[in-house]
Amino acid sequence: MLSSEKRSLLRFLAIYLSSTFILFFLATFIFYTFQKHQIIDTQNTQLAIKSEQITQQLRLLNENFEASLVYPQYDSYDSAIYNLDKAYIFGTTKYINIQWNKEYYQEENRLFYIHTVQPYYLGAAHLVVSQTINQKPLNQLFNMSALFLLIAGMLFTLLGLFLGKLFIAPMKESIHTMNKFIEDTTHELNTPISTILANIELLDSIHDCSGKQEMRRIEIASKTLSRLYEDLTYLKLNHNYHREIEQLNISQLLEERIEFFNTLLEAKNIQVTKDIDADIILEMDKNDAIRLLDNLLSNAIKYNRKSGDLELTLTQKKLKVKNSGLGIKEDNIKEIHNRFRRANSSEGGFGIGLDIIGQVVKRYGFEFQITSTYNQHTEVNISW
Amino acid sequence: MVKLLTTTLLLTTLIQAEKPSVLLQKNCMACHIKQKIPSELIYRRYLLKYSTHTAIKEQLLSYLKAPKKETSIMPKQFFLKFPEKAALDLNETVLKKSIDAYLDYFDVKNKLILK
Repeated sequence: MLSSEKRSLLRFLAIYLSSTFILFFLATFIFYTFQKHQIIDTQNTQLAIKSEQITQQLRLLNENFEASLVYPQYDSYDSAIYNLDKAYIFGTTKYINIQWNKEYYQEENRLFYIHTVQPYYLGAAHLVVSQTINQKPLNQLFNMSALFLLIAGMLFTLLGLFLGKLFIAPMKESIHTMNKFIEDTTHELNTPISTILANIELLDSIHDCSGKQEMRRIEIASKTLSRLYEDLTYLKLNHNYHREIEQLNISQLLEERIEFFNTLLEAKNIQVTKDIDADIILEMDKNDAIRLLDNLLSNAIKYNRKSGDLELTLTQKKLKVKNSGLGIKEDNIKEIHNRFRRANSSEGGFGIGLDIIGQVVKRYGFEFQITSTYNQHTEVNISW
Repeated sequence: MVKLLTTTLLLTTLIQAEKPSVLLQKNCMACHIKQKIPSELIYRRYLLKYSTHTAIKEQLLSYLKAPKKETSIMPKQFFLKFPEKAALDLNETVLKKSIDAYLDYFDVKNKLILK
């Protein structure tokens, strides 16, 4: 799967799953709250029933004139009777801070019910009954809600994956078609370009051709086409290209690539100043390194003025490419990394050079820095 | 002379000031027991209607000052068996003390227990 496809799928999944999860979470929360109230209401009803039983026993006690009156008690329930002035008479516990303005209320983990007694058996005008909240049904409800969320989450993740793949299928197909087209086109281009370049070389070495200037222009154009072919192939293969990481002599490779661009440099009459430390070794794939150097050099030449300067510095820490070129406007510097973005619209190109540089830099964890003064110079630094 | 008068006055007051329980026994219970009037039942009926001792005390005082069948807490049938009460010839202070003692004596708080 291409990184763009992965990105699209991940974005879709993130939006789809987060919205679904929020929706389900809210629904589950509402369900849980509703059910919790139902459970609490059931327990409150139990309190009301118990208070009726106690009231009946108070009625019997009121008619009892024995020396001792045994106050009614029930397991799991506490109760107390209060007179009309809300003064404590008797009970299994003496409540403090009773919320007299409420009929039912909850305090910490206990439920309270205030029952009005009429007539006032034993002087009791209020009967307060309480019990500890039975957590078992609440825990069961919580576990059930959590399980439901988990199962729904898993199901919707699977559904999201399926839908996501379904949605990116057309995009995948388009990319595949485009890649196939580029592959076919570049393949068809490669043979004639190679033939042209080989024959120019042959003509140059065997025959003393009178049209040297014209021959050089053909060579430059062919090399430009050749590099374009290499860049397109690189971009096409970049995602599943098997890299061979090796101890690469960058100093040597840079010299080779300068030599490759020699015709182009001569055509523009660009003065090259080299400060290349010998035997700088980097652990890289050779093709990646070639694409990086070629695109840096190509851009430095392309966006340079005629009879300009090109300064190349390679040290143990970095590679610096500085030209006396057209420069880049300050606003464009920030956008320079964007794919297919060209710094100067007056020059041709597909804008894939910077994209390839960006990809290589990112892959190897290098640092890319570009500074420019418009109409004066541009300096690119790649440090590792 | 003044000292002698003050001491005599104080001693007289102390002798006259009887305990509420004694007052209750003398002014109320003696007669109730003799006539077998159910004092606790009366207390319970007051409790059933008025709930608080403050309210009961007020009602009881009012009744004892001018006892009538119509204003009694007890049903009319009660007076078929027991005589209608005559007004007590007691001052209000003594009456109040006697009522307090009565309410304390039969207070349900003292009878209620937990098993």
